[in-house]
Amino acid sequence: MDIAIKDGKIVERVDELRARKIYASGMIVMPGGVDIHCHIAGSEVNTGRLLRPEDHFRDFERKTPKTRSGVGYSVPSTFTTGYRYARMGYTTIMNPSMPPLEAKHTHEELNDTPMVDKGTYPLLGDWWFVLEYLKKGEIEECARYVAWMITSTKGYAIKIVNPGGLEAWGSGGNVGSIDDQVPYFGITPREIVRGLCKVNKLLNLPHTIHVHTNNLGKPGNYLTALDTMKCVEDLASEDKPAIHITHCQFSAFKGSDWRTLKSGAEEIARYVNNHSHVTLDMGQVIFTDTTTMTADGPFQYTLHELSGNKWVNHDVETETSSGIVPFRYRRKSYVHAIQWSIGLELALLIKDPWKIFMTTDHPNAGPFIFYPRIMAWLMSRKAREAVLNRINRRARNRSLLPSIDRELGFYEIAIVTRAGQAKALGLKNKGHLGVGADADVAIYNVNPETIDPSRKYKTVRKAFRQAAYTVKGGETVAKNGEILKHVKGTTMWLDVQVSEPIKITEEMKRRFREYWTVEYENYPVTEKYLEVSHPITVKANV
Amino acid sequence: MFKMINLYPLKKFRFPVIAECVSPDVFQGKNQKEIEELEIWEGNKQKRLGELFKVEETRKEQETIITVCGDVSKVRRIGAYMTSGEITINGDVGMHLGEEMEGGKITVHGNVGGWTGSMMKGGTIEIHGNASHYLGAPYRGSNRGMRGGKIIVYGNVGNEAGAYMRKGLIKIYGKAGQFAGSRMHNGTIHVQKDSEGRVGACMTGGKIVVEGFLESVLPTFTIESIKKKVKIEEKIVEGPFYLFLGDLTENGKGKLYVSKEKNPQLSSYEKLL
Amino acid sequence: MAVVKAVTCPVCGCLCDDIELTIRNGKIVKVKNGCAMCESKFLSHKNEHRILKPLIRKNGEFVEVSLEEATRKAAEILTKANYPILYGWSSTSCEATRVGLELAEEIGGVIDNTAVVCHGPSILSIQDVGISSCTLGQIRHRADLVVYWGSNPWSAHPRHIERYTAFSEGRFQKSAWKGYLTKVKASAAKKKIESALRRVLFRKKAFVSPKPRKGPPPTLFKEGRKLIVVDVRKTRSAEISDCFLQVEPNKDYELLQALRALINEQEIDVDEVAGIPVEYLEEIADLMIGCNFGVLFFGVGLSMSKGKLRNVDAALSLVRDLNMRTKFVIMPMRGHFNVTGVDTVFTWQTGYPYAVDFSLGYPRYNPGETSVVDILLRGESDAALIVASDPVASFPKKVAEQLVKNPLIVIDPHMSATTRMADVVFPSAFVGIEASGTAYRMDHVPLPLKKVVNPPNGVLPDEEILKRILVEVKKLKEKRLVEAA
Ligand code: SF4
Ligand SMILES: [Zn+2]
Repeated sequence: MDIAIKDGKIVERVDELRARKIYASGMIVMPGGVDIHCHIAGSEVNTGRLLRPEDHFRDFERKTPKTRSGVGYSVPSTFTTGYRYARMGYTTIMNPSMPPLEAKHTHEELNDTPMVDKGTYPLLGDWWFVLEYLKKGEIEECARYVAWMITSTKGYAIKIVNPGGLEAWGSGGNVGSIDDQVPYFGITPREIVRGLCKVNKLLNLPHTIHVHTNNLGKPGNYLTALDTMKCVEDLASEDKPAIHITHCQFSAFKGSDWRTLKSGAEEIARYVNNHSHVTLDMGQVIFTDTTTMTADGPFQYTLHELSGNKWVNHDVETETSSGIVPFRYRRKSYVHAIQWSIGLELALLIKDPWKIFMTTDHPNAGPFIFYPRIMAWLMSRKAREAVLNRINRRARNRSLLPSIDRELGFYEIAIVTRAGQAKALGLKNKGHLGVGADADVAIYNVNPETIDPSRKYKTVRKAFRQAAYTVKGGETVAKNGEILKHVKGTTMWLDVQVSEPIKITEEMKRRFREYWTVEYENYPVTEKYLEVSHPITVKANV
Repeated sequence: MFKMINLYPLKKFRFPVIAECVSPDVFQGKNQKEIEELEIWEGNKQKRLGELFKVEETRKEQETIITVCGDVSKVRRIGAYMTSGEITINGDVGMHLGEEMEGGKITVHGNVGGWTGSMMKGGTIEIHGNASHYLGAPYRGSNRGMRGGKIIVYGNVGNEAGAYMRKGLIKIYGKAGQFAGSRMHNGTIHVQKDSEGRVGACMTGGKIVVEGFLESVLPTFTIESIKKKVKIEEKIVEGPFYLFLGDLTENGKGKLYVSKEKNPQLSSYEKLL
Repeated sequence: MAVVKAVTCPVCGCLCDDIELTIRNGKIVKVKNGCAMCESKFLSHKNEHRILKPLIRKNGEFVEVSLEEATRKAAEILTKANYPILYGWSSTSCEATRVGLELAEEIGGVIDNTAVVCHGPSILSIQDVGISSCTLGQIRHRADLVVYWGSNPWSAHPRHIERYTAFSEGRFQKSAWKGYLTKVKASAAKKKIESALRRVLFRKKAFVSPKPRKGPPPTLFKEGRKLIVVDVRKTRSAEISDCFLQVEPNKDYELLQALRALINEQEIDVDEVAGIPVEYLEEIADLMIGCNFGVLFFGVGLSMSKGKLRNVDAALSLVRDLNMRTKFVIMPMRGHFNVTGVDTVFTWQTGYPYAVDFSLGYPRYNPGETSVVDILLRGESDAALIVASDPVASFPKKVAEQLVKNPLIVIDPHMSATTRMADVVFPSAFVGIEASGTAYRMDHVPLPLKKVVNPPNGVLPDEEILKRILVEVKKLKEKRLVEAA
């Protein structure tokens, strides 16, 4: 079968005589990879870079005539991030946590992240305006403000992190369940999640609310994850997803403390298998040295206390918080090994690959360069066993993995690494190779007809590590690990059009000045901040 | 197989020269020609070793022995990662000498730059001149200090010698700058002469001995006792010494021995004993 | 006449963005909301010793040349160099810095910014222990204890206290301004009484000036926001504080460590640290633990005094430890308006915040080794490009001498000490007045810099000049490759 490309799009046919050809017979051809959740740009990522010279100094990339130089490892510099994704055949990536006040920073970095199309999600779950309007029950007004915010920050989806907990953390507190009151605001995480879920629907956003649950990283939190999914059950319609639970591994802990920690993957998988309003991503742990970074300030502080490692906290007025702690996942650690197991259990126990996607919550559970390894684990029992044999014994005995026979095929891998993610994001032109799709193509040098990935997982892993060809927007940008062309990639954002946009009155400006320490005029990200702007118009129902 | 190689700098260097290749592990099994072809950087230009050094191959030896004759104070990273063999330098040498070294021996008849023996794991470095800052200390942001081996300095050393040290010995015959042994976990630092102060800041374990003058001990150290002598690697050093424990800020159990005789200003601590 | 609102002030790290400018006939005639530093910058940018044409030194004299000729000359110098340095940046935009980094990479140079002479050590310590911080609004809304250590915001960051800290009004914390006014009035009244008494008592001194208090002043136990200043001398900021701790010069480290031990409930052997009795310190430690939200701002008084990075290390650790007991944050008082932004751009492109060495074709970082001041001290560089900075005036003499010994290219709006010594000079537009861009406030909040008036004819922004040099460098390199082949 041939795939024809013209002007950056996949088309019915092209003039065969004049077309440049890539011979890919005996290889696997997939749409370019899509990453729904990876921290690659913005204030917390960059502070992570600054914090860790010792993470970079051994892992560098020299300048070439075609590429800029840079460093890795767990928090690569921007150019290197783009190149490394492109080498793996990824062409679209989503940066999941952007403090709105610092949105310009995120976009400046995205401009310098080449090779991929990208988008970013503003953090809205603890924004005072949201808390206040939801408290008052003014959903439509809330929706108007959210629309303004998404458009002003050039964002792509509503991100919620430890709802209510971050506002509490501003004064050193946290919330402990989805029904805890947020100090001062008198609202609960449940109300925030439900409220924003309704807002999301009112605004017709292409993706669902993107939720990092309360109690993340705490034993017993699988119940919080289930509560969070359940709390929007009634808001779902037409079998469409209404909520995305991100890096679910971190929210699937059973047990009452670290010693009794167990996997809650079975319970979560059971729920997800019986409901159609949820999508998840894995947040798969990799045994390596990495850097954790989330907007979840209190969680990061706990991690600092547990590990004794250096710690950065950065709270953002009126909006959110964030924290950073370097972290090493060790095979021989009981807790880490259980975490490793949970991620894979989730991916294998959830039957429908359109519901769970492959991520490491880069770099939280591991750097993205390890994706090929996860693909191998998903495709091969043998690959999983090879690791199981080397992990903490108690964890091995408690792992559900030995009882799981399922091995994903190439088709399913294509879903969990691109098609499913694109669909969940509502990216109509990504994640498939049909006519009209963006010409983002990854070609891997492995023959799906002849190879048995279950046995030959190492060959498969190697092929995924370095795409034979990566085509971005119709151009071959990488070949066998070599970057052939430095291309910019677009920044996708939502131009949310509401019938009655919020009015910027003097009163509003005054309120603005009270809440933030910047002037209203200087807050929004103007389109000139986006080097290659790709607005997506959304017509809201409000 | 093994041999003695002499290197003579062909000029006085002005730009930094990065010479990671000057290491017995790299030279071993290579003939003179191959050694001359090794990659080396002078400023922002890539060169061959032979362009900057005259390479001379002499007699056979038990091990690969490299002798550098002349001023190589701009030449950095000599002996980095080395695991065996010997390097002798007759002259001053630049930064990162023997960085992450695992074995073998480096002898310098001259002064050394900063980060000498940085993150070292084994082997010996002997310096007959002075050493600059960060002797045996880790790279920026890293807490993986010296994890073994021995550094002996016959002259003085700069600040933060032995920072984050975990194992091994640093012996200084001369004076030490500020913050010797800061954040050290284990291992031993022995300063025979004066110290500029803030010794053992934030240390959690290990042993520091100061035989000379130390104006004041950090307020976060507490006096434990007076010891007649202290043992450093089988050898007895005669005192008496004030023994302080600290650093309290890190709930540390580090031992700081300070000569009683040389430090009468510390006698006020005695009333606490 | 036009009024431009919400202009960002391109002077100090406070980056106040509420400045209102009145413009008449292409000139700024009125500045509203700004402090004196801000006013003088906006009002006098045209009157300073502006350079209007590119200059090249020929036979020891400056000669006016075309932009093309200057660009060619600069590119020649830079491509020829074996170890060039590119320095300055913190008073220009992030956009210009982005180009600067590419240029540095292209020529295999070392790029460094002014952090190296102010808060560079602070960054090294952050890399060792981390930092608990936040944006300034968070402090305005929540902080009930504000500490300035080795920093005198009253003079160096004039609007800091009023806009963001003790005298600002937040959602959960009220301004301490009223209390301050009462205090000022009280002290004025006291002075009146004193002088009256003096007259009555035959011009004798009424009171012997009281010995410096050894205990904490009673204002420390008042309700509401408290302001503590720690410094080696009584600054203007110290005068308005509720409590001033005078630390013996070069003893900040000891003082900070002692406080750490105290808040960790450890017993201290000595009675006095850095000239302050331990009982007094215990009160301060209690106050820190007892507050709901504390903040410690530190300046170069801490990061550049004896102990340097380790002083900051201790301050960062103190704040980290305090978070076991309460909420506490810490922030360096960054000086130049965009030094934070420049660190930020450096970091996203190279992984490292300053002192980045591209000589091996990839970023390397090790301040002390790859920092410009040290490179100059060792006499290693052989050419320099200076952007929006005046190192000849600010560097130690020996370092500055080394700088001017080699070919020197300067991009600057006016004739500074450095410009005077240059071989190639590019006049540039004032960013934030004559050119737009982005700058980052000391708390990492990005703000737009506005272009409010036109630069003098033919004068370009830094970004544009750098782009031209970069293009020329690439051309030259290509030509050389062709010649070699
Ligand atoms: S405080 Fe600084 S930024 Fe604010 S107006 Fe004054 S000089 Fe400008
Ligand atoms: Zn995440």
